[in-house]
Amino acid sequence: MTRQPLHHDLFLIAHDKSGKPLAHRSATSLALAGAVLIDLVLAEHVSVAAGSAAVTGRAAAGDAVADDLLNVIAADRIGHDPPYWVRSLAENVYDRTRDALTAAGLLVPVTRRRLGMLPYVRHEPADIALLVRASAGVRSAAEGRKSPDARSAALCGLVAVLQIEAALYLGLPSLNERLRALATGHSPLVKELVGMVDTLVQEAAVAVYR
Amino acid sequence: MDSQESIGRFGYRQELRRGVGLTDLVFYGLIFMVPIAPFAIFGLVYERSGGMPVLVYLVGIIALLFTANSYAQMVKAFPLSGSVYNYAGRGIAAPVGFMTGWAILLDYLLAPSLLYLIASIAMNASIPAVPVWAWLIIFVTVNTVINLRGIRMTIKLTKVMIVAELAVLALFLLAGLWALLNGAGRGFSLTPLFNPETFSWPIVFAAVSVAVLSFLGFDGISMLVEESTGGSEQVGRAMRLALVLAGVLFITQVWVAALLAPEPLNSDTAFYDAAAIAGGEWLRHLTTTATAISWGVANTLVAQVAVSRLLYAMARDRQLPAFLARISVRNSVPANAILLVSVLSVGIGLWMSTVDGGVDLLTSLINMGALVAFIVLHVSVVVHYTVRLKSANRWAHLAAPLIGMAILVFVVINANILAQMVGLVWLGVGAVVLAILYAMGRRPTLRDSVKEPA
Repeated sequence: MTRQPLHHDLFLIAHDKSGKPLAHRSATSLALAGAVLIDLVLAEHVSVAAGSAAVTGRAAAGDAVADDLLNVIAADRIGHDPPYWVRSLAENVYDRTRDALTAAGLLVPVTRRRLGMLPYVRHEPADIALLVRASAGVRSAAEGRKSPDARSAALCGLVAVLQIEAALYLGLPSLNERLRALATGHSPLVKELVGMVDTLVQEAAVAVYR
Repeated sequence: MDSQESIGRFGYRQELRRGVGLTDLVFYGLIFMVPIAPFAIFGLVYERSGGMPVLVYLVGIIALLFTANSYAQMVKAFPLSGSVYNYAGRGIAAPVGFMTGWAILLDYLLAPSLLYLIASIAMNASIPAVPVWAWLIIFVTVNTVINLRGIRMTIKLTKVMIVAELAVLALFLLAGLWALLNGAGRGFSLTPLFNPETFSWPIVFAAVSVAVLSFLGFDGISMLVEESTGGSEQVGRAMRLALVLAGVLFITQVWVAALLAPEPLNSDTAFYDAAAIAGGEWLRHLTTTATAISWGVANTLVAQVAVSRLLYAMARDRQLPAFLARISVRNSVPANAILLVSVLSVGIGLWMSTVDGGVDLLTSLINMGALVAFIVLHVSVVVHYTVRLKSANRWAHLAAPLIGMAILVFVVINANILAQMVGLVWLGVGAVVLAILYAMGRRPTLRDSVKEPA
């Protein structure tokens, strides 16, 4: 079975079954953008070294957001660093991910009303099993049932960064620390990339304007 | 040098978005300074200066233009958004950076208390049935909820607030000038600028130590260096521009108010009393409400972000407890820092509301913290450029910072004695904390990969 893009799984985990976001939009956007970059790095489409990101293989990643990022990194002449790409992508990755999941039929837009008057739209998962499937790797790693691969380790780290571990319904003590340890203990690459997203999320929390 | 590269030299990545232009920077400085700031402390400044508030603001702006020059130099050398803490730490040495950050913490931690207190006094002047303490709790509660919900000032809202404050100021000036033309107050006179009967430099500098509060916030522009579209050069220009603009506004309003202020003067409500003489009770209510909103809401929103950033930066560098660097991702806010500042604001604000001259003392303490930090900033320029880099630019890197430092030292010497003592105690506590950090093997270090010339 072909795996979903990492940012699709993260989007599903970062919202509850009613489609309500579990973390602030700016933080979620940065984590989603980080997930796109991590996917590309783990698939060896992009390399990160000496403070800059470079395309190593131009084959399409198979996801519109990831392919676009691949193209702009390939066209970059300055050699911007990974945080630059994450910040740039974060500006629209949330909407694009949600729209892609909706187009694929995995999310369903539902209109509700605040106080019975003000309409707003949420995107609910079409099937609750999607949430379970998206978090399966993280859950089994956190419970110690299975050693995580790089992708799952990165997802563990991103869930910890967004502090949305309660959405896993594991009831384990110190779960956030455990997830962070799984990410940082997997490999220096995953540790570096998750750490970068963590820093960006923290910086966003003390930004003057956002 | 590419901005990305210049930040990368210091072990940081450029993590904040670049997209703030010169106008936005100036507006940010103005919202931080509050264009109608003298409304609240006019009485104090008038009393302290022997009736020469215009001269006091003139001296204040000259002193702080030198400070802005030193900021511009250090922002150029270290284009990082970490306030004077970063510049002193990198320009001189990490322990000096810690002590400077500690000094300016006095300003940053107490500023919200003063903002709430002044807003509460203003609202109490408008609606006396609600006591100051009740207003204070209302303001702190409302702002804490807003802050914890992650609501921030936006560039657009900043502009709206500035325009609204300027509109109130314009109304006051028009009404004031019209009243003076019709024989109200003392008529046109140069006395608010220079009064030979009361003039002495110690009196003027003592008043400057209070009036400088109105200018605090121009340094907040340096926090936007990583977002600035024009980099550090633009930040330096914005600081000077914001200072001059604010200075002109301050001087104009205190001149008119000084000519209208009734005798005997009530230092808490002097400006509002002058507004009532100028335009009647409606203008009193308008100026008090404008003060309450601009200090109690707009300014506290930006002040809260400023103190959060300083606490976050120092805690991230392991110079303050780690819990202050923790954030709540749910609302994307530094929740611990916000709660700490809110608790301090309620405690100190309520305490100072019962102390005779509480506003005066808080103002002096805040200014003391800022002035000490600014003095170290001037030293940083001399050390970094003239001593370390052997700069040949004697004016910008030696003479200007030394003149600026001399003025500020004179202001500190003539400041409120109690504020001087509390300031010294605060620095003493900082020295003890520094010693403890050393003893624990956590000597101050900044993420500074390379030390090289700008």
